[in-house]
Amino acid sequence: MTEEDSIKQITLKVQRYNPEQDSTPHFQEFLVPVSRGTTVLEGLLYIKENLDSTLTFRTSCRMAICGSCGMLINNYPHLACHTQIEEFHSDTLTIKPLPNLPILKDLVTDLIPFFNTHKSIKPYTIRHETEEMENPTAEFTQTPQELETFLQFTYCVKCGICISACPTSASDKLFLGPQALAQCFRYCADNRDEGWQERFLLVDTDHGIWRCHLAGACSEACPKGLDPALAIQLLKRRLISQAMGLRKKQQSSPVASPITETKGKVPFPEFTAKES
Amino acid sequence: MRNTYLRLMQLVTGILIAVLLGIHIVIMHLDAILGFFEVDVTEPTSWESMIGRASQAIWVGLYIALLAVVLYHALNGLRGIILELTPSARTERIVTWVIIAFGIIAFIGSSYVPLALLIS
Repeated sequence: MTEEDSIKQITLKVQRYNPEQDSTPHFQEFLVPVSRGTTVLEGLLYIKENLDSTLTFRTSCRMAICGSCGMLINNYPHLACHTQIEEFHSDTLTIKPLPNLPILKDLVTDLIPFFNTHKSIKPYTIRHETEEMENPTAEFTQTPQELETFLQFTYCVKCGICISACPTSASDKLFLGPQALAQCFRYCADNRDEGWQERFLLVDTDHGIWRCHLAGACSEACPKGLDPALAIQLLKRRLISQAMGLRKKQQSSPVASPITETKGKVPFPEFTAKES
Repeated sequence: MRNTYLRLMQLVTGILIAVLLGIHIVIMHLDAILGFFEVDVTEPTSWESMIGRASQAIWVGLYIALLAVVLYHALNGLRGIILELTPSARTERIVTWVIIAFGIIAFIGSSYVPLALLIS
């Protein structure tokens, strides 16, 4: 960012907290030059490079793929790299760490409990045939239509924004949260998976799926445009169908038949082939 | 699947409340409309009318069923709210048993009068 590009200066009011020095979090204001398209993350990087190198925040890809830079911007959770300062039409932005997660320092939250919850619902393909899983011979077949039933939920970047927006996660610290529940649906809906019975028991707890109030805040806040609330509702339907004995038996996908014939390689055009 | 069965019961009791409470409200408060359909309900809120209904097994059964589903629906909902606000295994057990005890006492206390009237 050069001075020529800057249109105006705006104030970033950033929450600071160093557990070794501070008893409670406090705010610090920084004046940042902003031009068209400047993201909140670029503003924070400007502060770190020019004003205060001790400011701590997570960032990596700068393109909404890694999910590192989730933070509360003007009291709403966003990815800082995916949010332009101009969107807010304000001369002051308040930046805080994501709520519902423990703060480590400044804008950095502890994501370990969040990842542990994600891992607890077994977010991987479970098959009963261990031989094929350990010594795979081919992929499990899946049609595009079958993939479509859960495809959007595979785009989760695990940024923790849905947890921050969720009112139940705010009141119930043991609640599994929209991210883990949506991922539970993602694997249960996958016809290559056979682990739905195990996962149903994991989410059917006092702080599991039935604590969701369907506020829909997770779907509204998700920076990747996913709909975790929909996944939770669909998972509830599966659980109720199972309890009522109405659940259709899901046929798990077979192993693809091995390829017996392969096409020959297309020869190089004559003008590129070297004659020996 | 315990929580799923509890929630399934919550859904079922919700539907039953709509039906049973609907019957109660129609009889008690919409006697003019029932009159339009030539169903004679004379003074449904009077003492005599109430005692008269309490002497019929079908009405006693309907009100006891309404009491049971309302108690389940309300207390299970209350349990969910309390557990969400006080997440700990010990609290869960205490809250669950207190609510079960309260539900049983409220059911016995409230169904005793219409049952006694019916028997007498």
